[in-house]
This record gives sequence, structure tokens and C-alpha cells, in this order.
Amino acid sequence: MFNIIFRGLATGAIYSLTATGIVLILSTTNVMNFAQGDTGMLLAYVAFLFIARRVPPILTLPVVVIAGILLGLVVDRGLMSKAKKSSHLGMVMITLAFTMIFEGIVATFFGNTPLLFPPLISGDPFIIGSTVFDRQNLLTIFIALVIFVVLFFVLYRTKIGIAARSIADDEYGAYVLGVPINRITNFIWALSFGVAGIAGLVTAPRLSLEPTFMVVVQLKAFIAAVLGGMNSVMGAILGGLILGVLENFIAYYIPAIKDSFSLILVVLILLFLPNGIFGKRETRRF
Amino acid sequence: MRRRIINLAGFALLLLIPVFLKSRPSFIGYINLAIIYAIAAEGLNLLIGVSGQISLGHAAFMAIGGYTSAILVMSLHVPSIVAIICGVIVSAFFGFIIGFPALRLKGFYLAIATMALGTAVTDIIRRLSITGGDQGLRNIPPIKIFNFSFSSEFSKYYLFLVLLILAVILIRNFLRGKGGMGLRAMRDSEFGAVSYGVNISYYKVLAFVISSALAGLAGALYAHSVSYLGPSNFGLALSIDFLAITIIGGLGTIGGPILGSVLWIIVPRLFGTRLESMATVIFGVILIIVVLTLPHGLYELIGKLNKLFRRTSQEQ
Repeated sequence: MFNIIFRGLATGAIYSLTATGIVLILSTTNVMNFAQGDTGMLLAYVAFLFIARRVPPILTLPVVVIAGILLGLVVDRGLMSKAKKSSHLGMVMITLAFTMIFEGIVATFFGNTPLLFPPLISGDPFIIGSTVFDRQNLLTIFIALVIFVVLFFVLYRTKIGIAARSIADDEYGAYVLGVPINRITNFIWALSFGVAGIAGLVTAPRLSLEPTFMVVVQLKAFIAAVLGGMNSVMGAILGGLILGVLENFIAYYIPAIKDSFSLILVVLILLFLPNGIFGKRETRRF
Repeated sequence: MRRRIINLAGFALLLLIPVFLKSRPSFIGYINLAIIYAIAAEGLNLLIGVSGQISLGHAAFMAIGGYTSAILVMSLHVPSIVAIICGVIVSAFFGFIIGFPALRLKGFYLAIATMALGTAVTDIIRRLSITGGDQGLRNIPPIKIFNFSFSSEFSKYYLFLVLLILAVILIRNFLRGKGGMGLRAMRDSEFGAVSYGVNISYYKVLAFVISSALAGLAGALYAHSVSYLGPSNFGLALSIDFLAITIIGGLGTIGGPILGSVLWIIVPRLFGTRLESMATVIFGVILIIVVLTLPHGLYELIGKLNKLFRRTSQEQ
């Protein structure tokens, strides 16, 4: 029982990490980033390059974060700020183009065969009572918690975060009040890609490293974001955790519908609770 | 008059392509694949380019059409024309069902819902035994009309070409009529369309039905042409590919999806089999360039060239 909850929380932490990145970008720039998962995939391969040079796995974490931040800056400066003028669908299509480019690059250089990614931390699991605390899962939850705390600090206690939330609320209003929209958007893309890198890194040891390993995670992250109402980071985090735990329960008790469960869930939620469980009521944007 | 001559010349060229490529039947096979993709992309174009609704589950409809037709032929020994028509109808029916949630969803939410449904369909196909599960269906018989079996690439080329032209003519007529106007009004402003008395619910569902019927047709042709169907062929990646094809070719234009699919099939061949994954990268880059510079896709480029050509010929 506790085993299931614990493993569910670890799975959920991964979904939450990816979902936060998606929601961050969506709420400030109104772009659905379909490349969130594949960015993580690409950065996990970067980490793999370092690990192949005998760098201890845990030390690749800062590398991945820095690489993600740089990638995010380049993507926003180079493309998104230019595409903003053309069409909205165009920006979404660019993120889809990124999934093609990233997957193509990785498939060209590393091949399609799954590679084994070493666990970030090794050692015997802790056992308390009948509950097994696997170290990798513990680390995943711990990293996710740290990220969430940092995110909260940044979003609610710093000037940049407050500016970012004001853009999410009303972009034009923020612009009128002197918020430097382009710089804040840039920051948000960098932040979100950094988080994507961490998500990729903690997911890679659970699944094997292959060009499409984040696609399913990203789909689940979308579902988590929908559960959380699409417009709040808090909702995305909770949505991810709830989805992870629910999924593990379903996998244990009703294994037949394990994979389809979350897909059916999302359609039902979209139909009957369009604002998600925690979402604020949507205001209409014209 | 001049336009008609150009059209006729183009048509004659299309008919003659196999004669030129007689020594390389595999190349005609690729063109056949391009035609199949074009039929499906035309459907998606109707949905996204004309009616303004996004779908990330287009490949699932193709899978539904293909599997329906293949199963009917293989286990019930239905004549293949009837089976293909059944495939189209079943696929259109699924489009009808999915059109209803689409009434309530907009933009991103619709994208997520269709993505989830698309993934669910391949998931279900993987679990059923009648669809062959993970192994998929092998040795699907070719299309057979009155004892003539379309098994060679040449015969398939002509059959597919006729179907594509039929589909294009039907779509063009539809877009010129009341239906097309309704869909476009809905895309540009839902509110405005309603106030002019356009029945939005009807047109939204109609767009889904037509687009999934075309995807179903493409799927059935694919099944009988390639003679193998596997669930992993119809995943999210294929849906994204269709989206890319439509956007690169030109949203809302009839020629665009055809142009996009031809490009889609030809670009990977330029790199050979070893660097095939590099082609995806190139295609992604093309997609970004098109989005940034040509909002109406490559088809717009042809129009511009045409104008330029005409202007220079007038000056002389």
C-alpha cells in the first residue's frame, strides 16, 4: 500500500516537473510547448556524453541545468521572439518542429537502439516496516521538491517572478506598467528548459535512453497540467503527483486499463471540468 | 483558356511519370506513398487550414480506416472495394463521435484531447487480438476490382492518382459552396459566424467527419498497398508529420498538402538510408523557416513565382 503510494509519488514527481515547465511557458507566452519532453530527452543525452567520460552521474545535474538554460535562451531569442509577430499557430508549430529536430539529431548521432542510463545514485534501498524506499526514487522526489521550492521562491518572492505572473494575468496591462516583456519571457523559457533538463535526467534511469523516451512522459505531463487547470504552476505540481499515484494504483489493481486510463481521464476532465481541479476560472481573452 | 492548357499539360505529365520511371519501380512506390499522404493531409488541411480546429490524432483515423478494411478483407473475405468503403465509413463515424467533444474544446485543449484519443486508439489496437496486437497485420491482399488485382506499383499509381484527383475535385467544390464558406467564417470568427446564422455545431462536426473520412481512405489504401499494418506506424509521430506536411505545403490551400507530401517523401531519399533520421532534422528546419517567412506555406511561393514570371513576360 505505502509502496504503491511511494512509487506513485516518484512517477508523479517526474510528471510534475515536466508539467511545470509546460505551464510556465503556456501561462506567460500562451504557447503550448510540445518540445518540453524532447528537450529533456536531448539534455539527458548530453548528460550521457559526460557519463560516458566517467563523470559521476549525479554531477551531470548542473551540466544539464546550464545546458537547458542556454538552449532556452537561444530558442527564445533566436526564434520565438521573431515568430511572435507572425501567427500563434506558427509558434506552436515551431515547438513541434523542435521535437522533430531533437529526435532526428539524437537518432543520427546515437542511433535508435535503447542505451542504458546508470541510476543517478546507487546503493541498497532503505526499508522501513514493509515499505521499500528505493534511493533513485527518493532522489527523484527530493530533487523535485527542491525545484518546486525554488520555483515558488522565484515566482512569488522575486521581482522577475512577480513580473512573470503579471504577464500571465494580463500581458497588455503588464506592458503598460513597464514590465520588460521580452526579457521576462526570455527568462521563463530558460527556466522552463532548465527544468526540462532535470526532468529528462531523472526519467532516463527509469526508462532506457532512446530518442522517444520522453514522449509518453510529456503526454502524461499534459494530462497533469489539464488536471491542474493549465494556468497555475501549483495545479500542475499537484496534478502530476495525483496522476502518478492514481496511475500506480490502477496498474496494481486493474492492470488491463493501465495505459488507457489516463487518456480516458483527460477526455473526461476536459469535458466535465474544463478548469481542472485547481484551476482558476478561465477568463475569456479577446 | 491558357489555364486549361496548363492543367491538361500537367495532367498528361502526371500520366506519363511512370513511363519515365519504368526502370525504377521503387521510386513509383514512393510516389504512391506520397499520394496516400496527400489524401490524408488534404483531410487535415480541411480541419486546420479551413475550419481552424487543431487535431493531433489524425494518424489514428488513418489506422482505423486501414485496420477496418484489412480485417474485412482478410477474415471476412469481403471484396476489397466494399472493404475500403467500409473503412472510410467507420473512420468517418469515429470522426463524428470525436467531433462532439470538440464542440466544447478550443485550441490547446482540443490539441490535448485529440492527442490523447490518438494515443488511446493505437493503445487499443495493440491490445486487441483481431488486429494482430504488437505484431500487426501481415500479407494484406492488394486491391482487387473485377478480377483485376492492383499489385504492381504502376497500376496502383493510376488508381491512387484517380482517387486523389477525385478527392481534390470534391474538396474544391465543397469549399466553393456553402459548406466552405461556413467553415471559413467559423475559422475567422466564431462569434461573427454565429451572428450570421451559421450553424457552428453542425459545421464543426462536419469538418471532423470529412477529414477523418479522408484519413480513413488514405489508411485503407495504405493497408492494401504496403500490405502491412503495425500499431507503431500510426503513433503521435505520424500525426505530427501530417501537421508539418500541411503547414509546409500551405494551410488552407488545396495544392499545399500535395506539395508538402511530395516533399516529405522525396527529402529523406536524398540522404540515403544511412542518414534517414537526418531528414527529420532537415524537415524540422524547413518547417521553422516556412513558419517564419511564408505564413501560407510553400504553395504561396509558387504563386509568387508565377506572378513574377508573368510580370517579366509582360514587360518583354
